[in-house]
Amino acid sequence: MARYAMLIDLAACVGCAACAAACVLENEVPPGHGRLWIRQRELGAFPDVTVEYRPEQCLHCERPPCVPVCPTGASHQTEDGLVLVRAERCIACAACIAACPYDARFMNPAGYVDKCTFCEHRLARGEDPACVETCPTGCRVFGDLDDPESPLHAWLAEAERVDVLRPEMGTAPKLLYLNTPSKRGLANHESEVES
Amino acid sequence: MTTFYGLPGAEAFWHWTTLVHFLLVALAGGTAFYTAVLGIRRAASARGLAWLALAFIVLDLFMLWAESPARFRFSHVWLFLSFEPASAIWWGAWGLATSALMLLLLALGLGPARFWAGVLALTSAVVLAYPGYALAANAARPLWDHLLLAFFPASGLLLALAVLVWLRPAEEAAPWLQVAALASLALAALYPVALASGGADARLAFALWLRGWGWFLLGGGLLFLAAFLARRAPALAGACALAGAFVLRSWIVEQGQHSFFVHGF
Repeated sequence: MARYAMLIDLAACVGCAACAAACVLENEVPPGHGRLWIRQRELGAFPDVTVEYRPEQCLHCERPPCVPVCPTGASHQTEDGLVLVRAERCIACAACIAACPYDARFMNPAGYVDKCTFCEHRLARGEDPACVETCPTGCRVFGDLDDPESPLHAWLAEAERVDVLRPEMGTAPKLLYLNTPSKRGLANHESEVES
Repeated sequence: MTTFYGLPGAEAFWHWTTLVHFLLVALAGGTAFYTAVLGIRRAASARGLAWLALAFIVLDLFMLWAESPARFRFSHVWLFLSFEPASAIWWGAWGLATSALMLLLLALGLGPARFWAGVLALTSAVVLAYPGYALAANAARPLWDHLLLAFFPASGLLLALAVLVWLRPAEEAAPWLQVAALASLALAALYPVALASGGADARLAFALWLRGWGWFLLGGGLLFLAAFLARRAPALAGACALAGAFVLRSWIVEQGQHSFFVHGF
């Protein structure tokens, strides 16, 4: 068993969206939807200005609110901590979409709820997720939090700061952002953006 | 300023068809509950009404299936092959199914009618309760406050009574209608207070409510009229209750699903 997690170093992310494009190609994400997207946010006021490029996707929460609300068990958490959807069980009721605090799920036109899987099919082959493999700045790393040899630990130890999205939701995300450009960390709402 | 490359899944996930379901499930659950109460008192008097409640359930279940993007994948069978007690919709599926069975037995006059009515009181209460539970369970949607655990059953019963005052002897259902209208009105009045005193997103939730306060004025006014007219002009009171409760429930379902995370303020 593993406890899979992903780190994204925002100090190195340039928002090129290669990860998003790789995800679409790898997972045949239908047009008009996304398992992964980039949020670009201008922060501060001249001359103290920065831009946050923030890739967002399913955080594969340790306590995923999308799982217990599912009436058929389609939305589930694997022993390795992946939050996945069994399409054949999904009735497309969207309860999981309602429960997800991160807009990480969408309705696949084929009639089931879809989301990032951390490329579980690639993990099964011993490969990294497509978004990690394709990132040109190397700002993403994927691994097992329970594995002391995983590069995750070195990245975490060297990070100036570590943030998660909406920690107040109590979801314990396993996608963590390192070195957020703003000293205020990740902003949840437009109203919190420095200006 | 925030821009995106790609698309977060922030679009509305429940549509007007879902609002119709929220109406139908209230008519189904409320009529079934009223049938159960009548059946416990005097079993024979509930037989006719049982057919009506059963019709509402069948209509609602059909609507649920028909509006589901998964309808032709026939995955709904998993609702009854799973044990998911933390899921409001799972409770709803079983609540509707068992209520339908109890209503059928009552309507056909098979078996111990008062016992079936007692069971139906429980299962129909589940049907009345689960829509509010399905909303309130989502901490990520601050407009779907825990107060909805009470408002949706109360307004659901009110919707059913609004129809029953037309179909039943009005003097029988009118007092119930008055009580349900007053309870719904009180809960609707408390709703913005509950939002503003909620958790971290209370300020945003209340600000969003302020954008729709006119709907609450309209819905609340109709509920007040329903309570006021319940004994004087039951048919008119029923119309007011139906419109008022539908407006309030629909606004809450429709507006509450919008993503605060992606849109902010």
